[in-house]
Amino acid sequence: MAEQTLDPIHQFHIDRLVDLHPFGIDASFTNAALFMVIVVLAVSFLMILGTGSRSLVPGRLQSAAEMTYEFVANTVHLSAGHEGMKFFPFVFTLFMFVLFSNLIGIVPYTFTVTSQIIVTFAFALLVISLVILYGVFRHGVHFLKLFVPSGVSIALVPFLIMIEVISFLSRPISLSVRLFANMLAGHITLKVMGGFVAALLGAGAYAVIAPLPLLMVVILTGFEILVAVLQAYVFAILTCVYLNDAIHPGH
Amino acid sequence: MANEENGDDLKGRLDSLSTALDAQHKASQERKADSGPTDDAGRSIGRAMNLGFRVLSEFVAAIVVGGLMGWKLDDWLKTSPLFLILFLGAGTAAGFWNVYRIATQPGGMK
Repeated sequence: MAEQTLDPIHQFHIDRLVDLHPFGIDASFTNAALFMVIVVLAVSFLMILGTGSRSLVPGRLQSAAEMTYEFVANTVHLSAGHEGMKFFPFVFTLFMFVLFSNLIGIVPYTFTVTSQIIVTFAFALLVISLVILYGVFRHGVHFLKLFVPSGVSIALVPFLIMIEVISFLSRPISLSVRLFANMLAGHITLKVMGGFVAALLGAGAYAVIAPLPLLMVVILTGFEILVAVLQAYVFAILTCVYLNDAIHPGH
Repeated sequence: MANEENGDDLKGRLDSLSTALDAQHKASQERKADSGPTDDAGRSIGRAMNLGFRVLSEFVAAIVVGGLMGWKLDDWLKTSPLFLILFLGAGTAAGFWNVYRIATQPGGMK
């Protein structure tokens, strides 16, 4: 058991809490699913209770809800323009989900939903499919202008189209890997530092320097909170940038 | 007589209160001045890290996508390693293009 608690990867293990296999599909209710439900409940709690009173002078909860709303609304407006505001509910939902799962994941003994690449990749695919679908729906064939840079000699165009296509296809990967890697690396570092404390305490005279990694854990936890908020923000702002491409193709 | 005493008392209390308030005000302002630069440093570190991660992931992702496309094309067309080499080069170019786009974006370096 002691060995297991020192394993830094163990925290990402998915356990089936309720086994469900409808039609031969493994749809078990796992600890990841449980924390997704918790995140959704936490976001709903903040938004519904926060906006419930609608007082002119906002209380703590209401100002927290209003601040997040205004922050995301400003972000969307700045990077996707006025037309991008129709995607505000989408971006706001993504931002709140990512932010809350990042923040809840810092609490010990919890599970970080965004440390699973399949979750972040699903988000990125959702964003990119929305970009493609809206772009084609809105501009038709003109959406393909996104891949043809203007003002280049004809000889270079095929080469540049290939580069643009690869660049476009790399977006969901960079979007998902960035969030996943930040969360994974941060939590492993925290766990390893915590493991150092336990190992040093059990190492006789070396127990004297055990507070050093403990101090590191405290600093890194603060740093992790910064990363959690920052990555949620980056995810939201890049979603806006990509949506902006769908709204205005052709650079 | 009693009234005057009360007035003096009140005055004394008011004075002591206002000096305490001044001290508090000064201390809070000093604290603000102290924390100002460190807050800014924290924010700029966050911003720089964010930019670094963006550049890194966009650059690497383009190369990985190019490599995978070339590898799969070779697999289908049995032309190994022609397309792998071609698309790896194109992927690297796309990676540089991504980084260039981040750098020239208005507000991208923020």
